[in-house]
Amino acid sequence: MPEMTFTDAARAGLAEEMARDPLIFVVGEGIGPRGGNFNTTVGLHELYGDMRLRDTPISERGFTGLCTGAAVLGARPVVDFMFLDFELDALGEIINQTSRLRWMSNGQVNVPIVIRGGVGVASTGPHHSANLFSVFMHIPGLYVVTPVFPADAKGLLKTAIRSNDPVIFLEHKKLLKLKGPVPDGEYLVPFGKAAVVRSGTDVTVVAISFPVIEALSAARMLEADGISAEIIDPRTLVPLDIDTILESIAKTHRLLIVDEDYGPCGAAAEIAAQVMERAFYELDAPVRRLNGAFIPAPYSPPLEAAVVPNAARIAQAVRSLIQE
Amino acid sequence: MDPAVEIHLPLPKDQALNLYRTMLLIRYCEEQLVKSYARGEIPGGMHTYIGEEAVAAGVCANLRHDDAVFSTHRGHGHALAKGMSPEKLIAEVLGKATGSSAGRGGSMHLFAPEAGFYGTSGIVGPSILLASGAGYAAKLAGNDRVGVAFFGDGGSNNGAFHEGINMATAWQLPVLFVCENNLYATEVAFSNASKITDIAGRAAGYGLPGVVVDGNDVLAVYLAANAAVQRARAGEGPTLLECKTYRTRAHSEGMRDVGYRTTQEVDSWKARDPIHLWKNHLLQQDEASEAELSALEVEVFKQAEDSAQFARQSPMPDPTTVYDHLYSQEVQHA
Amino acid sequence: MAYEVTLPRLGWDMEEGSLAVWIKKDGEFVKSGELLFTVEGDKAVQEIEALDTGYLRILPDGPQPGVKVPVGTLLGFLVPENERDSFVFPGGVSASTSMATADRVTNPVVDLRAAITSEGEGVLPVAEDAKPRRVYISPYAKRLAQGLGVDWQSLKGSGRAGRIMAADVEKAATAPLVAPKLAGIASSLTTSIPPQAIPESVTRQPMSQTRKKIAEHMATSAHTVAPVTLTAEIDATELVGLRKQLKADAALGGLPLPSYNDMLAKIVAQALLEHPHMNAQIVGDEILYSNTAHIAVAVDTERGLLVPVLRDVQAKSLRQVAREAAALIEKTRQGTIAYADLQGATFTITNLGMFEIEAFTPIINLPQCAILGVGQIIAKQVVTDAELEMVEIRQRMVLSLTFDHRLVDGAQAARFLQRIKRLAERPYVWLVGS
Repeated sequence: MPEMTFTDAARAGLAEEMARDPLIFVVGEGIGPRGGNFNTTVGLHELYGDMRLRDTPISERGFTGLCTGAAVLGARPVVDFMFLDFELDALGEIINQTSRLRWMSNGQVNVPIVIRGGVGVASTGPHHSANLFSVFMHIPGLYVVTPVFPADAKGLLKTAIRSNDPVIFLEHKKLLKLKGPVPDGEYLVPFGKAAVVRSGTDVTVVAISFPVIEALSAARMLEADGISAEIIDPRTLVPLDIDTILESIAKTHRLLIVDEDYGPCGAAAEIAAQVMERAFYELDAPVRRLNGAFIPAPYSPPLEAAVVPNAARIAQAVRSLIQE
Repeated sequence: MDPAVEIHLPLPKDQALNLYRTMLLIRYCEEQLVKSYARGEIPGGMHTYIGEEAVAAGVCANLRHDDAVFSTHRGHGHALAKGMSPEKLIAEVLGKATGSSAGRGGSMHLFAPEAGFYGTSGIVGPSILLASGAGYAAKLAGNDRVGVAFFGDGGSNNGAFHEGINMATAWQLPVLFVCENNLYATEVAFSNASKITDIAGRAAGYGLPGVVVDGNDVLAVYLAANAAVQRARAGEGPTLLECKTYRTRAHSEGMRDVGYRTTQEVDSWKARDPIHLWKNHLLQQDEASEAELSALEVEVFKQAEDSAQFARQSPMPDPTTVYDHLYSQEVQHA
Repeated sequence: MAYEVTLPRLGWDMEEGSLAVWIKKDGEFVKSGELLFTVEGDKAVQEIEALDTGYLRILPDGPQPGVKVPVGTLLGFLVPENERDSFVFPGGVSASTSMATADRVTNPVVDLRAAITSEGEGVLPVAEDAKPRRVYISPYAKRLAQGLGVDWQSLKGSGRAGRIMAADVEKAATAPLVAPKLAGIASSLTTSIPPQAIPESVTRQPMSQTRKKIAEHMATSAHTVAPVTLTAEIDATELVGLRKQLKADAALGGLPLPSYNDMLAKIVAQALLEHPHMNAQIVGDEILYSNTAHIAVAVDTERGLLVPVLRDVQAKSLRQVAREAAALIEKTRQGTIAYADLQGATFTITNLGMFEIEAFTPIINLPQCAILGVGQIIAKQVVTDAELEMVEIRQRMVLSLTFDHRLVDGAQAARFLQRIKRLAERPYVWLVGS
């Protein structure tokens, strides 16, 4: 199986889909001849030209609404926001139109759109580091996808493009150069299926996006202390595979959720609430969350390092949880 | 109906009468809804199109079923002119199970994709973006369909106007932007919101043609729209069509219609009722007889009345269906 | 009330020692159990835990580090929150002892634990107010406790702030019997025993929760009941024969094979209904008579003695009893017996025959008023007809009935035991029922 980076794997998936369906087109700032700020579309403009690789003016709300309209009329747009932060200008369209048209029309209209955004703290400062997963989880009608490994980047992007529902596809910037095995050809990862990336018996750690990698490092540290951590990568936040998480808790009885996004009303809070509702009697300790600091992402390196849940902090949180 | 490349005046009789019929249908349905509203049969808000019928009729007479129209909160006229069933429309406004969205949307969320009508909307502005998107899809697919956006003078000050018209022009998309300037956005006069008087003048700033038209003259609207639609289908890009018109009722039913405009102003526009204007024109130009027009009036009135009756007698929707259609959960097959 | 901190006695014959170092500072908030200071005793330096919770106030003219002083010398106080601002050192308190007595404190750690587990002592220091401590337990641990039949209310948790975790429940395992609230009794049992010399060759092990529960329960029974044990050797030949027949039959049908306990349970159930005062309990000033026989059967498990209950034995066939008993015993051995299955018995049977015990004096399982001990079945030479001087080899079994003489008189109990003897010697009689 070939090894490739997250970026290359996603692009391979995109290329395969675009070759398959002429109504798929990509829209974004710099995704044309330049191939995208994060190399998301390198080589594709030469193949398909302007109509399918459309460089946009700085009109985030505008081209999101435009792509929504195009999707309603049968095209399959992929909106490539470099940074989720920019996407926020389009939130009005995403919430009021994109997420809602199908339901409002009682199923007469579909919006098969994929909205990609780069997320996460990565030496990017306060305007380029948003995570905000729960903002999208909170809107009915959207799917929210957070791939971690390159194989999932490809498989989930292909599924997203083929889905007839709007998909928010969030890619952590620290994952872009991560290398991993990626299956050739028609590889599709279904939504709503979490991955147990490491088996364990003493504690369940659910990590979202890049923190999965940090959690795996933490698990190796904890092994030396005789603590066996089970790490779960949900892969899609909507639909959320809560059953895999509950199964794990029935085994370990302790849960730590790691999410670089903010604590208040975050994805971790939602998961904790669901676990409390459905597995209360399996819990041997309160559910714990480890979130990024509730402040805008700082710029200077020591400040930035202090606000994210890294492997050391995750390990510490697990140790504390075991003693609960 | 496929428009002819060149319009010969007078219009063929059937086209002329169709314009009349469309305007009547809008007027009579709106009047039914006004009565319903007064009787308390309508759960939410409603914004009537009375007085502006010529714009919807004139523009939509140039469109095919597969052209896509995106409308605003004041969109009953656009829906009916585009071919939406009056029964489904009225039933939806009454919140019934037989409505176009089975009661989920009401007046501001009417959909009739089978007629190319992709929705009235509670948010002002997005129609411009969505219609541009429809144009993009048509160009991508290589067909000659057009997207049409209806919006008001208020909408022209929204960011969507700027972003949407700029992109549509830059990419030469087949779109028609129809601005219904009825001088007020809710109760804020356009003159308070902008320094300019003619919205069409903004077009020059984006590089697309801007046309001003008397929105109560259905023929003028028809001709202007015809030219714009042909441009679009020919791949020459979008047009901004400003129709000067007026709504003779309050912004929304139940609101007081006083304080922000004078009775003289309202009366002066009532004297220019588009339906009367067209009727007079047809009679004076001998394009139709009094009897024909009366017969049409009776027929359309009955259609409106029957539709309202159908709607009143329809059942309310079943609450257990609220979660249906949130996701299609469909995946495209390779 | 501020609590005194004094120089502790380390080792049974220590008479004096010196304060080595204060671990906490004057004015610092100390929780009971935290290390407070170190003491240099006869042989070694030892860390001393605080016995109470409060703000440490070191006696300003108290013993200095390194200075030898008698055991019991006042060193300072632990002042509770509500007295913090108003506390003053008692006037004229000298550096000498304050009320040091021989049985005051030996090993502070041991005393601390006793203070916590005893009920009704009321001396347990509480941080801010005198509200009774609430016991916290995780949902999973609680569920586990219910499944294992552990009374978690009295467990000490090892989680944060003393919270009970699953591991604590698992260690405690299950208590042998359901006991009524032993308020006050336990405390009276922890009368301090003068410290003895501890021999060198000894291994220490803290008492498990199970063992503590058993100890309490047995002591209660011993102190409450007026026990008398009657023994009767019965002829078990017919019982043995019956079992052989059932065994042969069971082999054919795969049906459960009734044990001697099962058969005795049936016999006892009938006898109980004929002698209702044996199926009774004292509750306050009243006597409760049960009109059904729930018979508990003692089962030996890894964790200790457990006594699952067979219900309404009189209404069930021997086969049913055998089936149910087998299931209960299996669950008991697996540790999956439910709490409810260990409750509500009106009588108990305990069998030590498999250990070659003939007779014994079983302890009554409160709140019941009697218990039947069963011994080994031995083949013996028995005089079957004294006049004809006939001797036979018969299967004999001793039954030991302990009864509570507060409730039951000797003759009543004797008649009851005699009835059991009769039924057991001719088992077919009880088959007929009443």
